[in-house]
Amino acid sequence: MVKIANSESTFVVLLCLGYYLVMTIIAPGFFTVNNSINLLFNLLPLLIISIGQTYVLLTAGIDLSVTAIVAVASVVGGFMMSSDTVWFHNEFTTLFLGILGMLVVGVLIGAINGWAVAKFAMPAFMVTLTTMMLFSGFAIWLTQSQNLYNLPESFVEMHYTYFLGIPVPLYIALFVVLLAYFLLNRTIFGEWIYAVGANKKTARISGVSVSKTLIGVYVFSGFCAAVGAILYTARLETGSPVMGQNILLDVIGAVVIGGTSLFGGKGTIQGTFFGALFMTLLDNSLNLLNLSFFIIMMVKGMVILGAAILNTVVERSLKTG
Amino acid sequence: MKQIQHSGLQWVSNNSTLLLFAVAIALFGILSPAFLSFQNAFNILVQAAALGILATGMTFVLLTAGIDLSVGSIMFLAGVISGKMVVDGAPLWWAGLVVVVIGLEFGCLNALLIYRLKVIPFIVTLATFYVGRGLGLFISDTRAINLPESFLTLGSGKVLGIPLPVILLFFVITLAHLVLTRTTFGKHIYAVGHDPEKARKAGISVNRILLGVYVICGFCAALGGLVAIAQLGAVSPTFGLQSEFMAIAAAILGGVSLFGGRGNVFPGTLIGVLLIQTIQNGLVMVNADPYLYPLITAAVIFLVVGIDSLQNQRREKAKRLGLK
Repeated sequence: MVKIANSESTFVVLLCLGYYLVMTIIAPGFFTVNNSINLLFNLLPLLIISIGQTYVLLTAGIDLSVTAIVAVASVVGGFMMSSDTVWFHNEFTTLFLGILGMLVVGVLIGAINGWAVAKFAMPAFMVTLTTMMLFSGFAIWLTQSQNLYNLPESFVEMHYTYFLGIPVPLYIALFVVLLAYFLLNRTIFGEWIYAVGANKKTARISGVSVSKTLIGVYVFSGFCAAVGAILYTARLETGSPVMGQNILLDVIGAVVIGGTSLFGGKGTIQGTFFGALFMTLLDNSLNLLNLSFFIIMMVKGMVILGAAILNTVVERSLKTG
Repeated sequence: MKQIQHSGLQWVSNNSTLLLFAVAIALFGILSPAFLSFQNAFNILVQAAALGILATGMTFVLLTAGIDLSVGSIMFLAGVISGKMVVDGAPLWWAGLVVVVIGLEFGCLNALLIYRLKVIPFIVTLATFYVGRGLGLFISDTRAINLPESFLTLGSGKVLGIPLPVILLFFVITLAHLVLTRTTFGKHIYAVGHDPEKARKAGISVNRILLGVYVICGFCAALGGLVAIAQLGAVSPTFGLQSEFMAIAAAILGGVSLFGGRGNVFPGTLIGVLLIQTIQNGLVMVNADPYLYPLITAAVIFLVVGIDSLQNQRREKAKRLGLK
């Protein structure tokens, strides 16, 4: 079991490394300080949201609603923090409650998903599909398609604020990654997640609380999507109801390329890290090569397919050989 | 007494879609008397044609426990290519033929990737979704294409007083119903959906069935796309976005299971399609805030899927108890 995970992580690490080297040679402006910072800031929110998705996929579920969670969290944060809609007068209170509000949105929508999947045994695909439609519609209705500007200075300056020489978003991402790693590998909750993903019936018989586990992973995914929304909102300096509309493919692609199985029970945080890195490298380099966005779209689709095919081929050869 | 109550409840949950349908009609009828007119009922049918054709194809795929996320992209690509051809002076029948072939090819591609390379349908069709949409945007240069008058006759033309889209819809549904209920191919689709292993052991060529359903789905997507653009008169860069989700939702509302083997095109999927179209039409008739359309549609789908899942749970429990 450990061996399989290792061999797959090696594959995606080599993929990233090889791709990075090739792009350093052929893409103009790829290997520069500016672009490296750009790469890092593009990677962080995608990585965080993908880690939440990894939890859900490990239980053989899927969370299509992450895009809607990003949108609603961004809009709610915008409403609470924008100086156009003065809710609070002290900058610190505004910042604190605004960020808290965004996280609460993520946790609540995640809880709705988890509750429907666990208690009603509704298919995760349909649950998160309808919550995606519902909440992305809700975000647009709430703002009547308007963007929210004039967020607090200290919030939008997040990406340019350094603490001990390291930008603040990196601390946030580090916290989420370490938390996710710890929960998955060092706690009973992590063991339950793998057990539920491997076989629900066996897990239930051996005393795992399946519904608690399921609710837990969707709440965590919602939380991660909200953290991602905080980074996106700060970077774009806007609360937008269509924020994150196009990231679903990148998120699921990152997790699958990172070696997580869509059938549950198999996958790691390390794998997802490199999967997200690969998706970010792909996006960034294709942009630098001056390809139009529809070519990027097609290339991405084919890359995901390629990774999935490779994944099944590896699995089959492991089974037979 | 308890028995009667129980079967009453069961009747309600077994016919949840029909009941919701009745509630929706009554509610919209009270709020807007014009909603109940014969003319409006006919309008709903005309508006439902494209989604109906799309959802019929999707039903075949869902019956094998598969999924096709690429239909919206196929619709878009079909619209862009036929639109470009007709604008450049190609005859309508020729453009239509080319589009249908594209639909068939996409279906073939999906099926081949699924059964030859053993990649799950979700990932395969997610990839073809992006490839198809990217290709369509590339060909159209991300600009809207306005269609000439001749194209619109397909959308507004009538035969014996019945609009062409409605005739096409009924043709597709009748054919699909006959295939599913009267042919060995149809019976094999259900068998594969129930249990592919057992089907294989019983001598059914699972690959051939999968090829069949994805090709049918691709064909229906292209045809539905043609009907939709003929009614709209233009192909915008966002045309067909989320259509796959509406098609899946319509089929699920009509009682088709995502886990395969259960459901039918007639009356099932047709009822699901009409319910969605009735809600959207009704919201327009009562002058509801357009921002609320997706919210209400999503809430209704959530409700029906929830009731269906509860039923499923009970069925499985009964099966378990029966076995013991």
